[in-house]
Amino acid sequence: MPKIKKKRIGFRIDMTPMVDVAMLLLTFFMMTTQFRPADETQIDLPSSHAPFKMPETDIMVVTVNREGRVFMGVDAQKLRAQLFGEANKLRPAVEVDRKQLHDLLIQARISNPKLRTLVKGDKEAPFGPVEDILDILRQVKITRFNLVTELDKS
Amino acid sequence: MSAVESGGESKSHGRGGKKHKKKRRLSIRIDMTPMVDVAFLLLTFFMLTTYFSKPQTMELNLPPDEKSQVEVAESNLMTLRVASDGVIFWNIGTEPAHRIEMKELRKFLEDKNKENPKLITLLKVDREGKYRMMIKLMDEIAIAKVTRFSLAPMNEYDKRQVQKARAS
Repeated sequence: MPKIKKKRIGFRIDMTPMVDVAMLLLTFFMMTTQFRPADETQIDLPSSHAPFKMPETDIMVVTVNREGRVFMGVDAQKLRAQLFGEANKLRPAVEVDRKQLHDLLIQARISNPKLRTLVKGDKEAPFGPVEDILDILRQVKITRFNLVTELDKS
Repeated sequence: MSAVESGGESKSHGRGGKKHKKKRRLSIRIDMTPMVDVAFLLLTFFMLTTYFSKPQTMELNLPPDEKSQVEVAESNLMTLRVASDGVIFWNIGTEPAHRIEMKELRKFLEDKNKENPKLITLLKVDREGKYRMMIKLMDEIAIAKVTRFSLAPMNEYDKRQVQKARAS
């Protein structure tokens, strides 16, 4: 019997352009992506219209979380090891109390005088700890610092 | 999904001289599907993890020394007090405090500073209050282009003033 060759009704879509675009986007996102630095705690930033971009390097960050706990971190790993000990080298921030913060801020400034200070508070954080931090900053004579906020869209 | 055809006629290797007039096109098809799958997976991953909005910062300068005190005439000093529940009160000098809404604040600050260019704004936030309130107020102050302002701790006297303003 002659085989009846059934013509398969298959249609092909040329996927090449789509894949090209996908690859292009992939490259774009791979190049531009910056991973959010891991935080020790979750912080919801308050919003403001402040125009300054956050500096990326040579920073030390004093964080106040929702419960009012205070953390301190620096961006350079070497300095981190020096300040908080080898064990905490990989942690982005370490919880500190008021007294420690005072000493650590001084030490950090001695090690790297270029350090800029950022205060990063959760929007729901109580004002008390923030006021203490401002006080400590004044005591250690850091008179110029930045408060981290999110850009207000409105 | 997509396929690549290696183009061109293939040269007949080692088969020369045969009767095959019709040169068979030797096309290699590579199945690209897995690669494209992975590519899309990565694409999704990067699209979801990337973030563009870098945080902004608000620059703050504190006076270098606490001892450096500035004498201010009472009429030139406006105090903004934020109670623990976020209600804002204002007063000038030692006048009794008045309540003000956040929405009106910008216009209010602008007007007051136009009225009296020497006005100095003092911001006092209750320790029990929210950090957000301080940021919001400082933002409003910055938007209203008030450059002469300072932060001060809220003391018992301020709390009493707030109480009084609430009662009236």
